[in-house]
Amino acid sequence: MPAITLKQRLYQHYLTFIRRYLDKRQPPADNVTLVQKLIFILPTRYGWWFVLLLGLLYLLGTNYQNNLILLLCYLLLSLFLLSIVLVYQNMSGLTMQCRTAAAGFAGETLQVTLQLSSAKPQLMLSFSFMQQQHTELMPLPATSLTLPLPAERRGKYSLPRIKISSQYPFGLWRAWSYVALAQDYWVYPHAEKMLQQADDNSTENSGAQAKAHSGDLLAPYRSGDSLRHMVWKRLARDPMNPVVRQQQFTPQAEPCWVVVPPATGEALERRLSHAAWQLLALEQSAQRYGLKLPGLTLAQSSGAAHLQRCLQELALC
Amino acid sequence: MLRQKSLLLIWAGLQLSLLLLLQQAFAWWIISLFAVLLFYRVFALLRNNAAISLKWVNLLAGIIAVALLLNLRQAGVLHFMLQILLLAAVARLLALQHLYEARQLVWVHYFLIGCCFILHQDMAIAMLVLAVFLLNLYSHYRLFAPSGARLNWPQTGRSVLIILPLWLGMFLLFPRLPAFWQIPQANVAATGLGDSIDPGSIEKLVQDDSLAFRVEFDGALPPRQQLYWRARLYEDFDGRSWHISPLRRTAARYNAAPTGNDAAAAQLSYSVIAEASRQTGLFALATPNSVSGNLQLNSSGLVSANKPLSQRLSYQVKGTASPVLLLSAQEQQLNLATGSGNPATKQFAAELLQQYPQPAQLVAAIAEHFGNQAFYYSLTPPLLAGANSIDQFLFSSRSGFCSHYASATAVILRAAGIAARVVGGYQGGQWHPQQNYLAVRQREAHAWVEYLDNGVWQPFDPTAAVAPERVLNNLDDILPQEQRNLLNSGWRQLAFLQAARQQLMHLDYYWSVWVLGFDDNSQRNLWRQLIQQLPAIAASIAGILLLLLLIGGGYLLKRRAPAAVPPATMLLQRALHPVLQLKPPSQPLSVYLQQLAISQPQHREWLQQLSDVYEQAVYADKPQALMQLAALLKRRRLQIKQLRSSVKNT
Repeated sequence: MPAITLKQRLYQHYLTFIRRYLDKRQPPADNVTLVQKLIFILPTRYGWWFVLLLGLLYLLGTNYQNNLILLLCYLLLSLFLLSIVLVYQNMSGLTMQCRTAAAGFAGETLQVTLQLSSAKPQLMLSFSFMQQQHTELMPLPATSLTLPLPAERRGKYSLPRIKISSQYPFGLWRAWSYVALAQDYWVYPHAEKMLQQADDNSTENSGAQAKAHSGDLLAPYRSGDSLRHMVWKRLARDPMNPVVRQQQFTPQAEPCWVVVPPATGEALERRLSHAAWQLLALEQSAQRYGLKLPGLTLAQSSGAAHLQRCLQELALC
Repeated sequence: MLRQKSLLLIWAGLQLSLLLLLQQAFAWWIISLFAVLLFYRVFALLRNNAAISLKWVNLLAGIIAVALLLNLRQAGVLHFMLQILLLAAVARLLALQHLYEARQLVWVHYFLIGCCFILHQDMAIAMLVLAVFLLNLYSHYRLFAPSGARLNWPQTGRSVLIILPLWLGMFLLFPRLPAFWQIPQANVAATGLGDSIDPGSIEKLVQDDSLAFRVEFDGALPPRQQLYWRARLYEDFDGRSWHISPLRRTAARYNAAPTGNDAAAAQLSYSVIAEASRQTGLFALATPNSVSGNLQLNSSGLVSANKPLSQRLSYQVKGTASPVLLLSAQEQQLNLATGSGNPATKQFAAELLQQYPQPAQLVAAIAEHFGNQAFYYSLTPPLLAGANSIDQFLFSSRSGFCSHYASATAVILRAAGIAARVVGGYQGGQWHPQQNYLAVRQREAHAWVEYLDNGVWQPFDPTAAVAPERVLNNLDDILPQEQRNLLNSGWRQLAFLQAARQQLMHLDYYWSVWVLGFDDNSQRNLWRQLIQQLPAIAASIAGILLLLLLIGGGYLLKRRAPAAVPPATMLLQRALHPVLQLKPPSQPLSVYLQQLAISQPQHREWLQQLSDVYEQAVYADKPQALMQLAALLKRRRLQIKQLRSSVKNT
């Protein structure tokens, strides 16, 4: 339907215009404090209704030549005007930053944690990412806030602008701000085992892998068990009974390699997914592993940092 | 979903108080219906029952709305609007479930609170309405605040401090427009004098202690005998009661130019604040020449408004103390009809006319008759039943109230061929010297006579002949104790309550002068005064700003000023200023002086000395060393000059 596409196109233009304007006004920064320059204030829908009320009261007071109604009207009008200041005061002075880059797999929802601080209590601030539906109300006292961010395609992205808005105290005006924090987030390829092992040489000693997995036994978690052996999926289902994967045989000391052969398009995506799955499995079985990408090789190692490094390379590939 | 029980309770209480405040606008069955619905809601809340489903509430509201619509003719448009608004609010509260519904409810409450002021403008009730408004504001705040939040009192206080000047400034200075269109008025029974007067109609008024109007005189208070506030002319007599002539009603539209222009008569200028009487008739003394606002000034000296007074009205009158002039022969004819009956009175009039052919003499004779014969002034006269009530009064009961005497006198005069009419209005009033106003209550309602003499309607008060104290003092003073008790029934007799009531009345007076009576006229005056005082205001604001700047600047300077400089250093700096400019800032003064002594051999001796004395003055803190230093500097003025030039040259 052309009408909708026109509307959408206009909306796109509007968005790019707004983005350009905001980038000029507030370039991304590590640490942003809400000041006058960043806060926009306009009446809410209820505010417009309130204006209508003021008009009606003024008409009533004038037509009846009734000073008391006029007094009420002016009282409400001054309240209306004052609430601009109040809504601004409530919002200004909030400082926020995002210290760690969020990371997650494509198709999941990332949790972005913001650090907040303010000299005064601020009420009813709601946070959301620009163009995202989900809003979070700021907790009191304001220390940190976790915002969900859906991750769609792998890659490294800069954090979208965060929309902070508030209607406190009377809901007549909405103050809002789009804050850009200089922080990235990572979306790793969706970790999934490839079903048909068409090119079986993607992992060397994949047979050992398969064997290792088939020999796994599940046992209840006891304190001291390595967290790497935790069966997370099961934990999510049944958080009261954590289960660890115990290996019947001693892990192979021999290091292995995860190889992503050169490919493009859908094939590349599938291989990257598989590689991510392999990396997770290897890390869980506490082996040393390395990553071979077209044009890049990461030396063999193990540990969370290494895993993160490898996944980041996959995301960028 | 809204789950704040306390908020729902607040709204139920708020609607109950609105119901009470607006009860004038509701028939009893509507009040009880709404009250039942609200109480049901409160009980349901207290028992944690859920809200009624929207379907049922809509059905109920629809039925009530139809019933209200059927009642429209009786209630009038204004009352109907209030009923529908309150119905909407009550129904909304019954089915309230969502936040947006609560917002609509708060909005409607604001409007209803505004409407309360159409019906009430008394200060006490206005305060009550203000309290209801604050409650609604609080609930509005709670709707948008986090659930556990409390009012932040310091912030609230600051907000009030900002709002107050803004609010009052807007009220005082915002342009005031005339009414845009005609608006429906409330159907409320009128108070005050009616369109007809019969023996006994004023007695009922006299027991009414409520205020009729208040007057502020520009000059001194006229003598009490002149304070006859004319409101109504009763010219049609049917043998028993007096009515306003239908001719007068139609003639009232045609305004003749003000007539009474007696240069010798005292000029009167006063402003009246009339209470809402739901009547058009207003009050004036003797002959008014001009009135303010869009009021009508009728040729017979009556002032009236264009529409019934639904709220207090303030107006200014300028006029003279001279009696009203005759308008036309028709008016004279109108006031000669004696009606049927009362043969004894007509006979008595004929006898008097033979004795006293002049109207003034005749009137004096009537007054004398009332004064000499056993006539009594009483609030509880015997009932005059029968056709010839004037005969009955004049020759048998002889006890009556102002309307009896006025009516009888007018009939005698008419029977004697002198045009006469009964005037209804108010006499006297209570003067409050401190507040400088005259309060006239309904109990001061009075009736007297105007008779035509030489083309002038001369006033004559027969009651003054019977009970002169009635005119000179208050009504209370002339009545016997038991009749006074009739007036001051119950709690009114308590002295302290009386005093409190009086204070409240004064407060109410200021309220009506400053708040209710503030109109475009007062606003223009305010603007004019502001403009006149503009230089003074600007100067004072500039002065205050300057003072603040000075204080702030001084404070800053004091904070910036380094640790106190010793007097000796200051002395040296002042004397050796240009030389010392070359001193590096880190170098102490005495070290620099010694350096100078080395570099300038011809000044070595005294510079050495200077350095010694200076060190003594600063570090040993000896007062005589300071004096020595000053003396040395004075003595070495010439050398200092030489030193200056030689330093400059090097």
